[in-house]
Amino acid sequence: MAIVNLQNVTYKYPLTQTAVLQNINLQVNEGEFVAVIGPNGAGKSTLCYAIAGFVPHFFKGEMSGTVEVAGVESAKSSLSEWVLNVGLAFQNPFNQISGAKYTVFEELAFGLENIGVPRDEMPERVERAMRLTGISALADRSPYSLSGGQQQRVALASILVMQPKVLVLDEPTSQMDPIGTREVFGVIRTLAENGMTVILVEHKVEWIAEFAGRVIALHDGQILMEGKPAEVLTSDALAEKGFGISRYTSTARAARTAGLWKKANLPVTLDEAAEGFAK
Amino acid sequence: MFEKMKKDFTTMTWVLIPVAIAINIAVGQIVVLLKLPVYLDSIGTVLVGIICGPWAGALTGALSNTIWGLFNPDSLPWWPVAFFIGLVAGLCANAGWFKSWPKVILSGFLIALTAAIVSTPISVYLYGGITASGSSFITAYLLQTGQGVLSAVLSTGFLVEPVDKITTAMLAFAIVQGLSKRLLARFPRPENAEVEQGSSSSQLVTALIVAVVVIALGFFVRNMLAG
Amino acid sequence: MRERLSYYIKRDSALHRLNPLTKIILTLGILLVSLISPGYWTAHALLIFAIVPLSFLGRIWREFFSSAIRLIIPAAGFIFLMQAFFQPLGETVIFKFWVLDVTQESLAFAFRISTRITVMISAFTLFLLTTHPSELMSDLTRRGLPGQFAYVIISSLQILPQMQSKARTIISAQRSRGLDTESTFLCRVGSIVPLVGPLVFGSLVEVEERAIAIEARGFTSTHVKTSLHEIADTKFDKTLRWVLLALVILSLVWKIWQL
Ligand SMILES: Nc1ncnc2c1ncn2[C@@H]1O[C@H](COP(=O)(O)OP(=O)(O)OP(=O)(O)O)[C@@H](O)[C@H]1O
Ligand SMILES: [Mg+2]
Repeated sequence: MAIVNLQNVTYKYPLTQTAVLQNINLQVNEGEFVAVIGPNGAGKSTLCYAIAGFVPHFFKGEMSGTVEVAGVESAKSSLSEWVLNVGLAFQNPFNQISGAKYTVFEELAFGLENIGVPRDEMPERVERAMRLTGISALADRSPYSLSGGQQQRVALASILVMQPKVLVLDEPTSQMDPIGTREVFGVIRTLAENGMTVILVEHKVEWIAEFAGRVIALHDGQILMEGKPAEVLTSDALAEKGFGISRYTSTARAARTAGLWKKANLPVTLDEAAEGFAK
Repeated sequence: MFEKMKKDFTTMTWVLIPVAIAINIAVGQIVVLLKLPVYLDSIGTVLVGIICGPWAGALTGALSNTIWGLFNPDSLPWWPVAFFIGLVAGLCANAGWFKSWPKVILSGFLIALTAAIVSTPISVYLYGGITASGSSFITAYLLQTGQGVLSAVLSTGFLVEPVDKITTAMLAFAIVQGLSKRLLARFPRPENAEVEQGSSSSQLVTALIVAVVVIALGFFVRNMLAG
Repeated sequence: MRERLSYYIKRDSALHRLNPLTKIILTLGILLVSLISPGYWTAHALLIFAIVPLSFLGRIWREFFSSAIRLIIPAAGFIFLMQAFFQPLGETVIFKFWVLDVTQESLAFAFRISTRITVMISAFTLFLLTTHPSELMSDLTRRGLPGQFAYVIISSLQILPQMQSKARTIISAQRSRGLDTESTFLCRVGSIVPLVGPLVFGSLVEVEERAIAIEARGFTSTHVKTSLHEIADTKFDKTLRWVLLALVILSLVWKIWQL
């Protein structure tokens, strides 16, 4: 049963002529982990906004087609109700700090206060979200005093504490150093293992190969290809269209032309490449 | 009216207000550092007035003074002045007076008049006309020449405010023009910031000349009041 | 550039335990009585018999005196001198300085105005030292102030120091590129744009993302907001608020009586 269901979604930002999303059809099942890849300007962020309700509620503009989550249509709901269905986290961790709170604990409770969760339920929900994201030790710190990776985990926790049905992550590690990236993917792994429905936009394909059940390739506002990570991420067509691909894939592709790569499938990760070349 | 007011207070407005307050204070402090004879401490307030409407501007002004009061307590009692600066800036913008350089100067002048008028009773009641600001030397001089407190404070205001508020209005206009259309469209009143056709640098020059004349007129008015 | 924006000192005292609204009303009450009351000595009396004892009650007298000295001496001292020299009041000249007369009356006036300023600043300092901003805002929100105000106040308090440190970075960066911020008047005027521009545009561009982030956390939700912290409001608080209100009305009556 699809929990997220996009039917013929076409969308134009205000003041612009061309549609940034064109006729998108996408179904995501409950508990599924879907990754979205695409070159700059492909419309990945816009797709995230569409699922999270910011398109069209926040950005206005013209949208046709329907976005449904758990059977409810976004255009017929309000943004403040919709955020209870879909949680959104994005690139810049600094801009995701509300600024209205002095400690991480209060920062997590900010969303709960806004949606009127009774006080006695708050500590438990906040603590659970902190445990899930590994930030329990930071509870009394100021969110502004943290490292990028810690701030991004606070941002994730601030969304998780709202208990959304679906989590949309728009390049959550693009502004992280390798340590921050590892921290954030550690959290994403926990979420995936707990059966969270996740839609992740990501450039770092090695990580996608590890988590995603399915990869969507977006190009000029259209879904170009869709399938298992091993197929999509190694597709020759995508490499030609300027999609970011793993260096192991491109090395092996070059090696294949030279007759040095014998396996049928190209590798995405270091392990696969090592194994392939070892044969 | 209440409904209209509510429409101006979108999430974008609520997020912009603290940023505008910080701009007011940070820029005000830079200006002190540069030892310039102006305050320029309401650029953010005017900016909010333009793109989010008069009430949002007024709120920004009032809160800005309150928060500045935390480390410069002198600014606390002046919050009504800042309130009206934001309000009048917003009203001018709604009237379409933030769309070309000459009109911006007119708006700046109106804001200055408002500031002078609103600050007078505060200055007279709380401080007997002599405040902690440098412009009080002018008031003191006028008092020594035998003018009444009210007229001395008011003429000082008319003399000092136009330079500051016209510069403020012009800087706020320049900032609004520098923002992308895409970003402006997110705010409640992007139409207030649509620049009129033919707003060019020659207009800016004309506008500057008008500004100088207006300021000279300020001197003239003061002399009349003094005489 | 001062930027210590949180004066709050965490301590356990009767004053700290008062409800934040009671403390606001206490502060405003002191302020209004000192402004309205026509008695010459009211402000002085408030200072000695209300504010100073309260600072001991709040167990923050040391911090109170140090910040009061830092804030009040320059502000009230300057006002005192300005008033003493420039107020053209009275005949009894005490001494002459250049063309300015310092009279007994102008001294008395100066003393009164600067005491009022002192009362105002010290009452606020006392309030800020004993009240945490988020406690204050939670309490006001609970009493029906729209939740957006709490957001605006507290994020202003947190953004401002960030903006100030960004301003310092920009100033030193532009100076090291040869920007003249010190010599002639025109140079200093000319340096406004390169200093203010980067500061302002950088922070405005962030507004959209920050709006999205708080929307994602139910900022515009129509549910009645709740609060993580419970803030006590005792019977004593309520009584005290009524007493303060009565005192303000009393001084108003006194003022009208005198007219
Ligand atoms: N608010 C807006 N108004 C108008 N056009 C926009 C707006 N936001 C994005 N666009 C345009 O829409 C297109 C898709 O943008 P989007 O941000 O969705 O791409 P993306 O795939 O997320 O790119 P990136 O990899 O850079 O994040 C781009 O051409 C962009 O210029
Ligand atoms: Mg993007």
